[in-house]
Order: sequence, then C-alpha cells, then structure tokens
Amino acid sequence: MRVDPILRLIVTRLSLAFVSLFAVSLIIFSSIAILPGDTAERILGRDATKQSLEALRAELHLSDPAPLRYGRWLAGVVHGDFGRSLVADRPVLPYIGAYLGRTLVLGGLALLVHIPLSIGLGLLAAAKRDGPFDIGMSIAVLIGMSVPEFVTGIFLVLWLANDLHLFPPLALIDQAQSMGSALLMLALPVMTLNFAMTAYVVRQIRSSMIDILRSDYVRMAALRGLPPSRILLAHALPNALGPAINAIALNASWLVGGIVVVEVVFNYPGLGRLLVESIRFRDVPMVQGAALVLSATYISVNLVADLLTLLINPKLRTRTA
Amino acid sequence: MTDAPISARGVARPEQRHSGAVRLFRRFPISAMVAGIVLLAYVTIAVFAPIISPYSPTDIFVGSPFEPPSSLYLLGTDNLGRDVLSRVIYGSRTILLMAGSAAGLSALIGGLLGMQLGYRGGLVDEIAMRILEIIMSIPSIIFALLIVGILGASAPLVTFTVGLLSVPNVTRVVRAATQSVVAEEFVTAARARGETSLSIVLREILPNVAGTLIVEFSIRTGYAILFIGGLGFLGFGAQPPTPDWGLMVNEGRGMIDASIWPVVSPAVCMAALVTAVNLFTDGIMRIFGPAERGRIS
Repeated sequence: MRVDPILRLIVTRLSLAFVSLFAVSLIIFSSIAILPGDTAERILGRDATKQSLEALRAELHLSDPAPLRYGRWLAGVVHGDFGRSLVADRPVLPYIGAYLGRTLVLGGLALLVHIPLSIGLGLLAAAKRDGPFDIGMSIAVLIGMSVPEFVTGIFLVLWLANDLHLFPPLALIDQAQSMGSALLMLALPVMTLNFAMTAYVVRQIRSSMIDILRSDYVRMAALRGLPPSRILLAHALPNALGPAINAIALNASWLVGGIVVVEVVFNYPGLGRLLVESIRFRDVPMVQGAALVLSATYISVNLVADLLTLLINPKLRTRTA
Repeated sequence: MTDAPISARGVARPEQRHSGAVRLFRRFPISAMVAGIVLLAYVTIAVFAPIISPYSPTDIFVGSPFEPPSSLYLLGTDNLGRDVLSRVIYGSRTILLMAGSAAGLSALIGGLLGMQLGYRGGLVDEIAMRILEIIMSIPSIIFALLIVGILGASAPLVTFTVGLLSVPNVTRVVRAATQSVVAEEFVTAARARGETSLSIVLREILPNVAGTLIVEFSIRTGYAILFIGGLGFLGFGAQPPTPDWGLMVNEGRGMIDASIWPVVSPAVCMAALVTAVNLFTDGIMRIFGPAERGRIS
C-alpha cells in the first residue's frame, strides 16, 4: 500500500508536535516540582506560619508523590482545569484565555504588517541593487539583527512617545476606550517587533531575488522588451516567495518568544507578561498554565510554518520523507 | 583551491603569490576587521575596568542623583547617584564573561556531542537527534524563565542555562560537518590503523570541523549577549547592585523623565557590541565558509 508522502509527512510532524507538547508539560511540571524546599514554603516565604504552611500543603496535595501530582495536573489540563491562581485566588483558565487572546492580537497584527513590509523592502533592495537604498537597507538589516528588542522599544518610546507625543508609551490595552486608541497603543509594540523581524526576511528576499534576476528566463524577458517592473513582479517575485515564506514562518515562531520581552517593555497585558509576573509572585499554577499555553502556541506556529513551507516548496514536496 | 591564477600572458601575477594564511586574511572584509577592533576594545575595557573607570560601579552618591553628563561624570549619574560611565564599563565585564562562557559551554558540549554523534551514527545518533529536536521545539525564553525564575536568578545560573539551551543548535551543525568528514580517506586510514574512536574524533575530525566550531562559537556569542541582556532586562539575570546592562536599562526606564543617560548608555553599548559580533561572525564565515570549512591548519 502506498501512502501519500505529503500525508505521511503531515502525520509525522503532527505526532512530533504532540511528543514535544508532552515533553514540555513534563519539563514545566518537573522544573517546579524537583526544586529544594516545597512549593508551600516558596509561596508563603517569610510570612509562613505552621498552620498556613499545613493548609497550603494540603490544598496543593504536596505530600503526594511527584508522578501522581503530575498525572493529576495533566489530567486537569486536558479537561481545561489549570488549577487556581494563588495570587488572585481564582481559576487560572479564564486569565490565560484573555491574556492569550491579547498576545495573539499583538502577534497577528505584527505579522500583518511584517509580511507586505518585508517583502516590499526586500524587492526594492534587490531592484535597486548596490544603490543608496540597498546600502541603507543593508545597514538597517544589520542594526535590526543586532539591537535587542527592549532597546528598540525604549528608543521608540523616547522618540515617538516622549518627544513627538504620537503614541502612548504604554500599551495598557485592557483600559483602551475605543478601537482607535487601542490601535494607537499597539503601534509601538508592533513597530518594535517588526524592527527585529524585518531584517531577516529582507536579507533572504534580496539574495534570492538577485540570483533570480541573473537567470536566463529573466534575461529573456528583458530581451523581449518587457518593462522592468513587470519582470520584477510577474516573473521574478513568484520564484522568490518560497524562501521568503520560509523566513517569515521562522519569524512567526520567533515572535512567540520575542513577544515576552516586548510585552514587558510596553506593560502589554499578554501571556508573556503574565508568565513573567507570575514567576515573580511565585504563583505556581499560573506559571505552569501560562508556560504550557505559550509553549503550545509556539509549537503550533512551528507546525503550521513547517507544513506551509513544505506545501509551497515543490522540491521538498516530491521528496519522500 | 588552485595555485595563483595565471594571467593572460601566462605569468603569475605577483600580488597573488601568498601563503594560505594571507589568502584567507585577504578574504576577510574590512567591516569585519573594524568589528574585530571594536571587539578588542570591548575586551580591553572589560579587562582593565578597575583602571579605566573613574569611580566604583556600586558606590552610591558619588554625585547627586540624576546628574547630567559633565566633566566629572561623563555619562551622568543614576537615581542612586552612581556614576553611569563606571557602571557601563564594569557592565562590559559582566556581559562578556557571561556570554563568552555561555557560548564556550555550548561549543564545548555541542562540539563533543556533535562529533561523537556524527562519527558513530546509528541508533544512538537517531535517538539523540530526536531528543534535541524536542528540546529545540520549546521556546528558549520560556525554558530559561522557568529555570532561572524558580531556582533563583544569579549570573552563574543564567550563564549555564543560556549555554545549555544553545547546545542542540551547535550539536546539529557540528554533526553535519562531521558527517561530511567521516567519509574521507584519512578517517578510514586511522580506523584501519586501529585508533580508538576518541582518538579519531580528537585527532582526525576535530581539526577538520574546527572552523565550523569557531563560526558556531561566534554566532552563539551574539545570541547569548541578546538572550542574557533580555533576561537581565526582565530582572532574571545578574541581580542588583551588579552593573549589568540589561538590568540597568530596566532600572532606569521607569525614571527616564529624570535622566535618559542611565538607560541610553548601556543600551547603546549593548547594540554596538552585538553589531560588532555579528559583523565579525560574517567575516569569519567567509573564511570558514562551506568551501573552506574547517581548514585552518
């Protein structure tokens, strides 16, 4: 029996994603469970009294063996029960849902700007090769790759928020009055993320476009007297899209990690900042939930990116995995 | 590579007659050379920090809080009246030591692991690569936040964590480079001589993947600076009052209306350092690129 190679590949990737997700849950749980001292002591810190320690231990079932606690936690997670936040004393799940939603809004908006922007800039750099625009882009690409997001973010705040008063310095989107003010708040975080992401795709598109522009069929098109813009857009661009989509897909998975720092810079109430804050407050169930959902998002984005790259690249598609 | 090319008249052009080292050096772009000089300057500043810095990086109220730059305090003072310049200078020590050690750790473990897996192959290799793939499918920042945030943030732990998280990447690259060497005759010859696998890995394979390893070390250093800077910024890196650039940016950003210098100075230093590392990496990649990969002897 012959199985469709694409289907087989998809099944392989899917199962790998599931194994990864399981491994992540194990790592997240054990990183918290293996630690010296028990969770109750860590949560209560110096204010711990004997009674409060005992009560908390009983509540968290800390005297049970670790594998049992892991099984119970995982079973809960599968049923949508992430436990109760120790700080807010409310179920974790609604929190995570709301924060994840806002992270997806920020990430999605960043990608929405990222895709046309980086493809356009890459095209321009390749078309005007070695001209001032291309050289300027090369420098911008180098800076974009080298400057950490928190530095970019703070410089943008200093310039566009504090100096020019164009945008609010913080993105407290849950307090936004209207759609318009929410978009204004999102402007600086989206710019910061794009500054870091654009470089890679521009570089990718520029180098593959330059190769393609040297190819025979592009020369042929030029000899036939087609206008340069038509050659660039109709003949060369479709062939440069494969590597570009690959680069964009890689950026999308980078985004899930990179967004953590950007959310903290702009006080954006997303899942990344929730994770950082919960770690500070030693809110164990919240840390576990936020870390797990964020990792699951990362793994899903990676999966989609992988499959997309595969489906678009005919060379990879025909090769049996 | 062929010998010096013959010109149209059949005479070798004299300026092309150079030894291998000079030829390699010629391929090193000027930008990378400038970057190398900048890196050297950073290292020098870090090493001689106690001599260069005008004040102690942790002494409070050497000036009044938030002083603007002056001849006494070239980059001004922070909220506790500490000299920003001295803190930035000592901060170069913190980041270079942490990022360098982290990259070194990942190159050491990833290099040994990659060479062993690439040389041995088989089931062990298969299983190890699957495990590494799974580790790489978890976002590093979450991994690092969990470990550092819960075990307690400290400079050695952050260094160790960032180094370990880079091991899979290095392993993958070194393993691929090793696989292309293993098929060569000198490896077969060494095996025929009855050398042990450890000796083959160290004496036959290592010299041939050394270039790859150097490039990886350089890439990982740039990555580690960004990663450690980010963790420092989040408050999960070196702890106060350590002069750490990421931490300084975080401490100063809430008081940016009082003075921008405590924030801008470490931010610019960090951006310039990573830029230099990236340019330098580009340069050594040209030397040890696919064609010349590994040949440094």
